[in-house]
Amino acid sequence: MSATGPRASAAEIAAAVAEGRVTAADVTEAALARIATEDKTVNAFTAVTQERARAEAAAIDAARAAGRPLGPVAGVPYAVKNLFDVAGLATRAGARINRDHPPAARDAALVRRLHAAGAVLLGALNMGEYAYDFTGENAHDGACRNPHAPGRMTGGSSSGSGAAVAAGFVPLTLGSDTNGSLRVPASLCGVYSLKPSYGRLSRAGSFPFVDSLDHVGPLARSAADLAAAYDALQGHDPDDHASVPRAAEPATPALGDGIASLTIGIPDGWFEAHAAEPARAALARTADALGTAARLRPVTLEGVEAGRAAAYLITNAESAALHLPRLRSRLAEFDPDTRDRFLAGALLPAAWVTEAQRVRRRWLGRVLRAFETVDLLVVPATPFTAPEIGQRRIEIGGREVLLRPNLGLLAQPFSCIGLPVVTVPVFEPGALPIGIQLVAPPWREARALAAAAWLEGAGLATAHPPPAAAAA
Amino acid sequence: MNETDPRAPEDPLDAHIDTASALVGLSIPEEHRAGVRAFLEVARQMEAALAALPPEDTELALAPVYRLPEPPEAET
Repeated sequence: MSATGPRASAAEIAAAVAEGRVTAADVTEAALARIATEDKTVNAFTAVTQERARAEAAAIDAARAAGRPLGPVAGVPYAVKNLFDVAGLATRAGARINRDHPPAARDAALVRRLHAAGAVLLGALNMGEYAYDFTGENAHDGACRNPHAPGRMTGGSSSGSGAAVAAGFVPLTLGSDTNGSLRVPASLCGVYSLKPSYGRLSRAGSFPFVDSLDHVGPLARSAADLAAAYDALQGHDPDDHASVPRAAEPATPALGDGIASLTIGIPDGWFEAHAAEPARAALARTADALGTAARLRPVTLEGVEAGRAAAYLITNAESAALHLPRLRSRLAEFDPDTRDRFLAGALLPAAWVTEAQRVRRRWLGRVLRAFETVDLLVVPATPFTAPEIGQRRIEIGGREVLLRPNLGLLAQPFSCIGLPVVTVPVFEPGALPIGIQLVAPPWREARALAAAAWLEGAGLATAHPPPAAAAA
Repeated sequence: MNETDPRAPEDPLDAHIDTASALVGLSIPEEHRAGVRAFLEVARQMEAALAALPPEDTELALAPVYRLPEPPEAET
């Protein structure tokens, strides 16, 4: 595959650049050209940093020419959700209000780490306002459109991060996940994502949403690229008070470990009841594939609805408190789809939120007990495939429900307790994508990534190109 | 239901919106009131759902994230 083509992996690009088969400048120009022509439809980017990208690519090419060592993702183009600080840009976090902020003085911690690893930043990406979103719609920047079906949602809130990878603009992006904001767009756009353990990757220099629940992580089109990005991003950072002082635990060396030694749990009950047919079918196919090499067992997770409720209440209250000054002074400038939720969150009784924190802890205990008998949990990432943009309601299990809160229904219970989750795409070429979550015990990202690589190798998990790209 | 007031004033949510918004210094415009009320209703249902996992008195996790910083190197 050409290293300048839209489906080139980060690994292929980095190898081609390192071996001198292509220059970082050529890779960058090809990506910029794709964005210039194709992002008019997708609307993934809110800022394209051409000058910076060309300068970073030139520095990589100069380093190679001088015989200096290159980083593991040298010359690989990437882009970041626009809640990450990018020096010289106002950090929008999807909000009109934030456009008044002064430009960031320095890059976010994870942007600095990818820069140190040789990656080339192409710009900032669309997202739901202040990350309070599962749809990918945004009243200020316009809806981000699903590359597989431009009339449909990308999912959110890391909408541009999912779409840019699916569309082939870049092989890597960064996003954030508080209740499912990496996993929902990964599922609806048909790409891979990693939500690491809470406290694993630094959030320093990213605009917060819910401090107790915020995670940041990468998206990619292969398990190997996801692991490479994750490895480049790891490391304790005292600038993020949630960052845990653990040594980096590289996942790439363990990517070929397979699943033969694993017992894999398939949660029933609540998860089954809240998955529509495409999600159930994808889960069945995944379980069938995993069952050929690993032991499977059904698992009943008691209290999942309480865990999800805790996530809702903590999110609503903490995010509203963060935005209270803006709700008082600039209410009319909020996106109508976040405004009333933020207002309601500012009025929640404190006792409800405190109780939610305690229930969160108890829910974690229940899931850790399940991990005494299984090594991974496998759950659909979204209840259904991408709805149409503007859609408000959807049917699950014969019951019509509100679409917005239910898009993240199957993802919320796991981010609430900070567990690492890899989302893998499981869909047929030409069909609407859907993803499956591989949920691991705390700090076992490498196990979930190895299982993702196994599913990819087995031909089940594939980030198929959108139909238009496949036909080109 | 009060037939002259569609906001169903007997429900404590309506009184709560008025009192709590005044207390935190928020003005709830009339056109947003129904939306705010709907989300508070969702929150009330979520609070009821918490009862499925009642914690023991000793099960505490009340601080979202709270760790004291290390002292400066010169003082260690």
